Amino acid sequence: MTYFEDVAVGDIMRFGRYEVTQEEIVEYARQFDPQPFHLDEEAGRQSMFGGLIASGWHTGAMFIRMVVEHMTPVHATTGAMGFDDLKWVKPVRPGDVLSVESEVKEKVAGRRPDRGTVKIESRIENQRGEVVMSLVSLVIYLRR
Amino acid sequence: MKHWEDFKVGESTELGSHAITEAEILAFARKYDPQPFHTDPEAARRSIFGGLIASGWHTCALMMRLSVEANRREQAAATGSPGLDSCRWLKPVRPGDTLTGRTEVLATWPSKSKPIGFVRRRVEMINQHDEVVVAIVGITMYRRRTAGAVATA
Repeated sequence: MTYFEDVAVGDIMRFGRYEVTQEEIVEYARQFDPQPFHLDEEAGRQSMFGGLIASGWHTGAMFIRMVVEHMTPVHATTGAMGFDDLKWVKPVRPGDVLSVESEVKEKVAGRRPDRGTVKIESRIENQRGEVVMSLVSLVIYLRR
Repeated sequence: MKHWEDFKVGESTELGSHAITEAEILAFARKYDPQPFHTDPEAARRSIFGGLIASGWHTCALMMRLSVEANRREQAAATGSPGLDSCRWLKPVRPGDTLTGRTEVLATWPSKSKPIGFVRRRVEMINQHDEVVVAIVGITMYRRRTAGAVATA
């Protein structure tokens, strides 16, 4: 298990593999982000995006799925306070395969003796190595 | 049709409400955020949260839903978002909570190269006890009424 004490600024972690399907893009959009360019291929083609694209919040949800699968089992975290500086850089399209590269930017000890906050910058990349989304998460780590 | 020019700094809007169910919390978490305190009511009772809570990404998704519906009611010409400055999950969201969205315009400025403009806003979700459960500051793009020259906001 990786605790607050074990995390070092500059640490880099690479993980995850998420295949994005048209069916899942449309299913998420119907529930949470029913804008035409997330729902319908033809409407997407006519938009400035030139095709169906995933909701940015859906990309965030796919990111957290990869985090929970690969990081949570081996990192002593207890959720996150939130995040800063989220950028939706490039559209995510059906057939894309996403993965994550995370880098520890800062450790904040705080006042509580049993935990600390770690600022982790994550870049979500597609199969061409293009960053599609980035954010700085404020992750709560337990201390040893 | 509501265009970029129609957003005024300080303007505050109610986005509507959503009552969240345990089934919804479990379905979202099992697909996207399968941590025990989001997916297992019994494990959640034993966690620091004392009961099942919604994924923060689920709360944000519901906020997006309310925003899209509000845009539709106002016929706002929204064309997406480049991102957010910040997001804070301030209080747990539990089954049965009723969340109401509220937004305030913080700044507006036009694009230099495209016939759109940007609106920076704060969006909050507030529960039935009047507690803010999530607050974001984000940017939304809207089409401009006229594609011609505009004064810089």
